[in-house]
Amino acid sequence: MPAGLRDAPVTWYTPCGRAVPPASEEGQPRAAPPGLSALCGGAAGRDGMRWRRGAARLGPPPPPPSTFPAPPLPPRSASARPGPVPLPAPFREPPRAAMALCGRGWARCARGLRLGALSRPGLGGTRGVRGSNPFTRQQEEEWRRRNRSAVGYIAAAAVGMVGLSYAAVPLYRLYCQATGLGGTTGAGRSAERIERMEPVRDRLIRVTFNADTHASMQWSFKPQQSEIYVVPGETALAFYKAKNPTDKPVIGISTYNVVPFEAGQYFNKIQCFCFEEQRLNPQEEVDMPVFFYIDPEFAEDPKMAKVDLITLSYTFFEAKEGQKLPLPGYQ
Amino acid sequence: MSTAMNFSSKSFAPRPPDKGAFPLDHFGECSAFKERFMECLRRSGYESAACRQSAKAYLECRMDRQLMANEPLEKLGFKDLINEKSEEKPEKS
Repeated sequence: MPAGLRDAPVTWYTPCGRAVPPASEEGQPRAAPPGLSALCGGAAGRDGMRWRRGAARLGPPPPPPSTFPAPPLPPRSASARPGPVPLPAPFREPPRAAMALCGRGWARCARGLRLGALSRPGLGGTRGVRGSNPFTRQQEEEWRRRNRSAVGYIAAAAVGMVGLSYAAVPLYRLYCQATGLGGTTGAGRSAERIERMEPVRDRLIRVTFNADTHASMQWSFKPQQSEIYVVPGETALAFYKAKNPTDKPVIGISTYNVVPFEAGQYFNKIQCFCFEEQRLNPQEEVDMPVFFYIDPEFAEDPKMAKVDLITLSYTFFEAKEGQKLPLPGYQ
Repeated sequence: MSTAMNFSSKSFAPRPPDKGAFPLDHFGECSAFKERFMECLRRSGYESAACRQSAKAYLECRMDRQLMANEPLEKLGFKDLINEKSEEKPEKS
């Protein structure tokens, strides 16, 4: 040890263990000390840089072991620097061990390992602990374990969400059945509504009736009135007539259509003969009534302002015995 | 009909009737009431508002003969006709 070292303000040691005179000496160039390249080999400049930076952050590194007795540790001044963390106990040993593990630039490497910056298990995945630092392995394993459990929770949540989206369909159906909200949109077609509605006298609408049969259906099906004048908000009755001219009973089932399409949402049937199988015996003729009303909100819809003709069209199809026709919207 | 190939615009979605389907009047029990109604329609130029009494009578016939679920007539939109009847009675008596 150079004489007077203990009295010197600070003594800096290169990563390669070579003592450098304190910076208080004037006129000293800031270049790497001579002989650094010999000791550190390779890019002395780089090492020198690292040395300078590392030393500035870490404070005075521990002294090289073999030649000198270990100097006392510098006292921790609570005031001065913001936060260079003192090296943990193992590093108070000769840095040769650290050098063996980290190679060149051990100071930064060791610091990085300590703070976990270089080998966070979460970032590294399961490829094995980077750095293989035995001192931080326990913590890294704990991080790994925690990350794995977090991934497990997230995966379970994702699977739960997918299952919930599948379960939503029957659950919603149950909810609709329980609360009775199934199927009703916009204007609620309940009996109270019919009771309370008031006819809108200034809109007279002409409703024409049309009757069709499917090609293979032998019934004779026609309306008993070609048209009827109604006002929105008032219930009206209309009749169709169907005759079975064959010698066999025929079961028919019908569906309807309303033109114009936008007016169809206001056309509400209280009772009619559609969507249910109607059986006609041979040579039988029946009257089929349609009891309907047009919603009073029809008069308030701006799109319906020019509509004064609505056509109601029924079509009868033949229903074979045991055949279940998938009819729209009717259970 | 609704089978037209209109892909862009919405297609018509038929709705089931509120109270279901009328049972068929196989024996023509209410045909007389129906005839009265049709006559009224032809007389009034097919105006529905003029023939609501006859319509009410037809529906009452159906209800009496179990061809229609019994329902108070107010719920079928004949509230004003019933009020008229009850008003007429005290006037007469």
